[in-house]
Amino acid sequence: MPTTATPEVLPGIEQDEQTDSRTDLEPGYLVICWDDPVNLMDYVTHVFQTVFGWHRKKAEKHMLEVHKNGKSVLVREGLEKAEFYVHQLQKYTLHATLERDSK
Amino acid sequence: MKLLRTGQRQIQFELAPSEKALLFHLLQLYPLVPSAHHRLSKGRKMPDREENQRLLEESLQARRQENRQQVDAMLNETGRFVERPAGYQVSFTRGEIEWLLQVLNDVRVGSWIALGSTAEHPEMEPEMSKQTMSHVMTMDIAAFFEMGFLSAVSGEFQPGHE
Repeated sequence: MPTTATPEVLPGIEQDEQTDSRTDLEPGYLVICWDDPVNLMDYVTHVFQTVFGWHRKKAEKHMLEVHKNGKSVLVREGLEKAEFYVHQLQKYTLHATLERDSK
Repeated sequence: MKLLRTGQRQIQFELAPSEKALLFHLLQLYPLVPSAHHRLSKGRKMPDREENQRLLEESLQARRQENRQQVDAMLNETGRFVERPAGYQVSFTRGEIEWLLQVLNDVRVGSWIALGSTAEHPEMEPEMSKQTMSHVMTMDIAAFFEMGFLSAVSGEFQPGHE
């Protein structure tokens, strides 16, 4: 097996271009939580903390975004992980979906 | 619902006899949310859309069965609720509180759906009848217990506070 080390950044190729090309190779999916008039604000905050392991301030910020703007993009992930998060959020009966990131 | 003690693993509450009866009533209603209520995506461009939707429904169904078994075990467990002069003392692990929150919120959201208030029509005002009043009360009682449990796990609810 060859043992030649591969340089992390190829000559002439800038780091930003490499980052951008990831989006084309692996489409991103947005996990979105939608507002509804039934889930309690404290409950939504608690679920965000539990599912994503966020600290309370971050969870509250997203909960308020859901409440005020009608939705909040919680994370951007590959399909499998985004599905996993939606399953977790829906087990708590939150109104969550995943949408393909068009950017 | 009074918080008595908060430990690393367990949290102890005291419930009045009427609160215990209401909690049991709510737990017996579970599950209320119909399987078809949950959608994986609003978009139409999802890969394997139908297959992924089916997987979601299976996953939720499995969780409902697991929660239902835990509910039944709790309702039938002798000695879980210890009778005292002021009411019943009961301890829950933090893990048990987590699935109790899922169960109670399912009952709350399921009652809301039964009232006709889906996410697409949140402005709908239900017509008041004996049946709809029962759903409204179920929603409020579920919220009462949810808030009690949430305050206890977040540390905002101090021991001795009702």
